Amino acid sequence: MHGKPIAIIGAGLAGLTAATFLRRQGIPFILYEAGPTVAGLATSFRDPDGFTYDFGAHFITNRLAAALGIGAECRTVESYGESVRIRGKIHRYPLGLLKVPRFVSDAILSRMTGGASRSGSAAEWFRATYGRAMADEVAIPLLEAWSGVPASDLAASVGEKMGTSVWKTFYLKYASRRLGRAVASGYSHEMPESPDVWHVYPEGGLGLLCRRLAEGLDGSLRLDSPVEAIEVESDRVRAVRVHGREQPVSAVVSTAPCHILARLVRGTEALRPLARFKYRPMIFANLRFDGRDLLPDTVLWIPEAGRPFFRLTETTQSMPWLAPPGKTLITADLGCEVGDAAWRMDDEAIGLRCLSHLEEILPAVRGKYLGCRILRTPVAYPVFLRDYEADRLRFERSTGIEGLVSIGRNGEFAHLLMEDVYWRTLKHLRRVISRGFNVRAAAA
Amino acid sequence: MASPATTSDAPARTGAPCRAGSDRPLALVPVRCCICDLDDADPVAVGEDFEYRTSPDSFLAVRCRRCGLVYLNPRPDNQELDRIYPPDYHAFNFSEGEFGFVYKVRRRLEARRLLRCCRALDPEARILDIGCGDGFHLDLLRDYGLPGWRLEGIDSSERAAEAAGRRGLTVHRGRVQDLDLPSDSVDLAFMIATIEHVDDPPGVLAAVGRLLKPGGRVVVVTDNAASPDAALFGGRHWGGYHFPRHWNLFTASTLRELARKSGLEAESVSQVASPVNWVYSIRNRLVDRGSPNWLVERFSLRAPVMLAYFTLLDALLCRVGKGCLLRAVLRKSP
Repeated sequence: MHGKPIAIIGAGLAGLTAATFLRRQGIPFILYEAGPTVAGLATSFRDPDGFTYDFGAHFITNRLAAALGIGAECRTVESYGESVRIRGKIHRYPLGLLKVPRFVSDAILSRMTGGASRSGSAAEWFRATYGRAMADEVAIPLLEAWSGVPASDLAASVGEKMGTSVWKTFYLKYASRRLGRAVASGYSHEMPESPDVWHVYPEGGLGLLCRRLAEGLDGSLRLDSPVEAIEVESDRVRAVRVHGREQPVSAVVSTAPCHILARLVRGTEALRPLARFKYRPMIFANLRFDGRDLLPDTVLWIPEAGRPFFRLTETTQSMPWLAPPGKTLITADLGCEVGDAAWRMDDEAIGLRCLSHLEEILPAVRGKYLGCRILRTPVAYPVFLRDYEADRLRFERSTGIEGLVSIGRNGEFAHLLMEDVYWRTLKHLRRVISRGFNVRAAAA
Repeated sequence: MASPATTSDAPARTGAPCRAGSDRPLALVPVRCCICDLDDADPVAVGEDFEYRTSPDSFLAVRCRRCGLVYLNPRPDNQELDRIYPPDYHAFNFSEGEFGFVYKVRRRLEARRLLRCCRALDPEARILDIGCGDGFHLDLLRDYGLPGWRLEGIDSSERAAEAAGRRGLTVHRGRVQDLDLPSDSVDLAFMIATIEHVDDPPGVLAAVGRLLKPGGRVVVVTDNAASPDAALFGGRHWGGYHFPRHWNLFTASTLRELARKSGLEAESVSQVASPVNWVYSIRNRLVDRGSPNWLVERFSLRAPVMLAYFTLLDALLCRVGKGCLLRAVLRKSP
């Protein structure tokens, strides 16, 4: 059995991490990538005018950079902050929200009247956890804009990762200001956070991570090679089909989105429920402006009905080198559906639509506008619908097929940030090899 | 349409601060736990070369989930040794001229400790110091030990071997595994602040074991990764990391595991008081936080008061089994 390779599907951060791990263990594998290049969602773009942007705004930590040996090629992110705009006023997130009396009194009241239930909806969970005022004015509107469905249709588990204690947040924010480094807070869930772990950004963009991981994979990396099918026999992976040819495999490590994985698997009905798993498409409008520091913080959340975007990110506040001197970049996140009016809209029209709303938030911004670049992705965030929550929980434990693991942000159907993708992938792969490839993909 | 990014605008300031001419990143290689031969570890610390600034890299210390060994991963390739041990590295020139009063006190203290290990030795015993550096310890044994003792050192650094040679000591240049020395010939070997620097601790110890006479002993002194200073500064600034030169850091239990793997019997593992890791932990934190130079210099091997203070503190900690350094006596079966 050890003679057959493991097939890895997708050469993004997770797939490349898996490949690098297997190479070090001396285990044969083939990494199939449907596209002509590596990197997937971890791609960065730099346009001829000197603006750099990613698929959504991302950074990593000094810890991940050190693990990949790219620390020397990363710059320290000196500050990072978030604000929320509520009823036209700006509040620092999260501690500034504690200054709003109705948020605090409602939150205390909700804690006293009993905790949140995991079996209910996200709307109930947020109201029970943060109080009615904060839930209805901040959390729920953001969640709905982000997911595109009413919070009453979402599972409570969507909020579970948000719980870092107030004291820890306060301590890390304080350390961040004192040290002049953007200390990670609420970013890492796999590994501990401390003042010694802060954000860095690779020189030239996030693509560096994947290029570094791809070094030395040589013959094992197959570009332009979409996996057409995963053949399963008696609930065990047997082979993959690529370019019409069958390749026997000992296991499959997939990073494909779940609904696509469900379509790829042949010879079993076990993954049929995954076909319903929904991902929210996103449009990232990268708006360029004259000037700097236009937003009150790097990120501004906009839980206001009627806005096309729910989040604005001025990456240059944290990473000044991402735009030419004296110029800045604001990324607006627009939730959408593939093929809807926004998705089909002409790039310039999206820019102008954002601009007209931005003007209401930042007066005089129109005169500084220098145009935009639009990125669209049909698969941005997993949507935790209550409809399939039971299936999702089952999938979180195992794919149900021996020899098939699903990893990465899309593969795990979880809102994972880059560093967590890395450590979780290693964890999954160790489990794969420790079971002698008798894999039942499992979370803890 | 935009193209994938390749470069960024100047001025570039990537990576850690480094000395002039050292801004090229080191070649780093991934490694496994040297005891378990597994790659199953959690990250515990991220750091830089705070002391010598020999490269712009950041380094990751990880802890093996099976045995608890702390090790650097990835770590500099062996071909980078000349870079990470620059000419001003302290082990090459710990001299009276450079360190004055501290040098004299340390000589006294170390002489007593060394001789305690040599009590039962034959008047014509053969003693080997592996990783002898500039020959500091061999020199002490020559000055304070029995005249019949045959003293030899081993060091893979040319600079170290030269410095020891200038003292009139016999030093073999190379790695103990590669040198062709007579087996079953050594009565006592020392590895003082050496095991944490070598690329293959089990291989080195096994080689030392071959050189030892049956019943012969090797005394290993190394940083204690389970000490309070390690706990307090372990996320980044702990002096014991000595980034990127300490490749493996042990506890009493991982030292015993190492001995077992190398075919030696751990006779005892005790503790030795040392101020160095305390002083350097604080110094590294100050350096990392951009503290003024006058303050940083209060915490160095040239600051006798501070060294005395932390020696006292660590002596107290040794009493409760929490000292900075471990001393393991490993024995080859008779």
